[in-house]
Amino acid sequence: MSEWLTGAIARGQGISDWLAPKRAQALELLSQTAWPTRRTEAWRYTPLRSVERSIAKDQVQTTGLSPVDIADLHMTELVFVNGRFDVQQSSSELPTGLSIVLGSELNNADQALAIEQFSSIKPSRHLFGLVNDALASDVVVVAIAAGADIEKPIRISSLLSSGAEAHTRVQVKLGDGAKATVIEDVQAQGDTLSTAFVEYDIADNARLEHYRFALQTNTNVAIGGSHFNLNNKSKMHSTIVAFGSDLSRLDTDIIHAGEFADAKLNAMYLLDGKELFDLHATVEHAMPNGTTEENVRGIVADRARAVFNGRIHIHRDAQKTLAELNNRNLLMSDKAEINTKPELEIYADDVKCAHGATIAEIDKQALYYLQTRGVSRSKAQVMLNFGFINELIDLMPNAALAEWVRPIIRERFAQMEVK
Amino acid sequence: MSNTKSLLTIKNLHASVEEKNIIKGLSLDIKPGEVHAIMGPNGAGKSTMGYVLSGRDGYSVESGSVTLDGEDLLEMETEERARAGLFLAFQYPVEIPGVSNLEFLKASVDAQRLARGEEAITSANFLKEAKAACKQVNLPIAFLKRGVNEGFSGGEKKRNELMQMLLLKPKLCILDETDSGLDIDAMQVVAAGVNSQRTEDRSFIVVTHYQRLLDYIKPDFVHVLSDGKIVKSGDASLAQELEAQGYAWLQSEPTEDELEG
Repeated sequence: MSEWLTGAIARGQGISDWLAPKRAQALELLSQTAWPTRRTEAWRYTPLRSVERSIAKDQVQTTGLSPVDIADLHMTELVFVNGRFDVQQSSSELPTGLSIVLGSELNNADQALAIEQFSSIKPSRHLFGLVNDALASDVVVVAIAAGADIEKPIRISSLLSSGAEAHTRVQVKLGDGAKATVIEDVQAQGDTLSTAFVEYDIADNARLEHYRFALQTNTNVAIGGSHFNLNNKSKMHSTIVAFGSDLSRLDTDIIHAGEFADAKLNAMYLLDGKELFDLHATVEHAMPNGTTEENVRGIVADRARAVFNGRIHIHRDAQKTLAELNNRNLLMSDKAEINTKPELEIYADDVKCAHGATIAEIDKQALYYLQTRGVSRSKAQVMLNFGFINELIDLMPNAALAEWVRPIIRERFAQMEVK
Repeated sequence: MSNTKSLLTIKNLHASVEEKNIIKGLSLDIKPGEVHAIMGPNGAGKSTMGYVLSGRDGYSVESGSVTLDGEDLLEMETEERARAGLFLAFQYPVEIPGVSNLEFLKASVDAQRLARGEEAITSANFLKEAKAACKQVNLPIAFLKRGVNEGFSGGEKKRNELMQMLLLKPKLCILDETDSGLDIDAMQVVAAGVNSQRTEDRSFIVVTHYQRLLDYIKPDFVHVLSDGKIVKSGDASLAQELEAQGYAWLQSEPTEDELEG
């Protein structure tokens, strides 16, 4: 066990609040869990040295951090600063059908329900999920009433000042037939350590549009998860955009717990320098007639490393499942690295499944050809390969969000060099 | 020779690919408006010359100098050479799926205009010019929308190269075996395109294996490149001599490859 984890457990033991039974459970599991090594499959390519060495503190003075503006997009804001829920910056006027409440302030009945749902979707195998269970002090509960169509996107921002350690946790529940858009964003100033986990329970016929931005870079250690429980005829459309950092790890779980549910996951990552980004995406088809489409694309430059593990598990009763998983990668240097592992586990006999992973290098001949026509090397790279990522940006249902992130990605891409 | 300033001056150029010397003392002087044909056997270094002049990765200059319009060409990046007025029409143009021909042409023209401090051309005006160029080289307009050279036949690729030349208006064009793989009709289209671009200040290096193309593009000078250097120069009549007698009589000594092969 690492010193860091020992310390985290000790801190967790010091917290006593409404979630006490759940926190005790998590601490119990943590104390039985071995600290991952290279032989731990879930962390095989992602060493935890930067967590072990972290000197980030969980009590750091907050300094005027606020969520980024996105042109043409008005959002309901849910803001955490260094792990604490920021009432001032969070929206107080909410549309009808939407409630956002600190778990500690819920009435008894709702609190009992929230305790029951806490960690019921996020699988307990996620080590840092357990850490988050134990340490996330301000757990916020978001509820969208049955039938409500919440047009304004809800943005969950976790803002960290330099040197901060923070653990944020949100529980989202969409009632029957409800519709909502949720954006998760982490913004960190450097030398930070964060865990940010959100669980989504999507009731029958409900629809969730989801975005997760992990654009923190440099010396930030960011670990998180988005976990979705899909009930009958519910739908989710998720987009993940990530850069890398000293350690950036994301776990997603999509659970088809009802029939005829539909999940789409589009993820893209652009890594440069010595960055690392690790995406573990798991889909559980536990019930029949579900569909999943997963497109994961990455561009890795310099000495950066990407890890993708995409597992689709089709249970014995999940007949008529349609599932597709595709991972395409582009390496821009011969020192760049991608470890990709698509896994299909199929126990039902009447299903359609496909998976594939490809790794390509930048076409140096095409690059040269464009240069001989006067196009600069950097512009040529963008022309040759931006389309590959752009296609996924085009699939983002929210146009304002797409137009916000497109130039950010384009600029990063233009800085990445072919080596 | 007149006293006009040279457009391209190559002096005693030595260059290698993967540590193998290919260009071994090449010298050439080209004045504005001149058309020089470079002929020679396979493996003489004809294509290598174009790659070295354009600054392709992996082609390294060991010694010698090259100036274009008085500027040191070898100091420039590939794209800077293009912006300085050098154009290489490839023997085997590369296919680039996902990048439309029009986007590619516009990016090329934009980059060169920007480098010359000219105003950017509007998309509408550019489309007009591109359509006219398409027509001039006998390519269907629909080819502008397709991926660069994607699925083009050999002849269509060559005409696409020519179209780029029409739009970029370079000072010096190197045509690398632009006639290879073309039937006589296609070759005439290419020759007509080149001839339409001959002006007092634009020069051409026509690299070819056969004299045939030179019936349509009349060269001012013909050079024979053999084993990395020019072994004989003359006027257009030299091409006919070569056609009749082959290259063997010109080669000073057989290359290693030939001894082995």
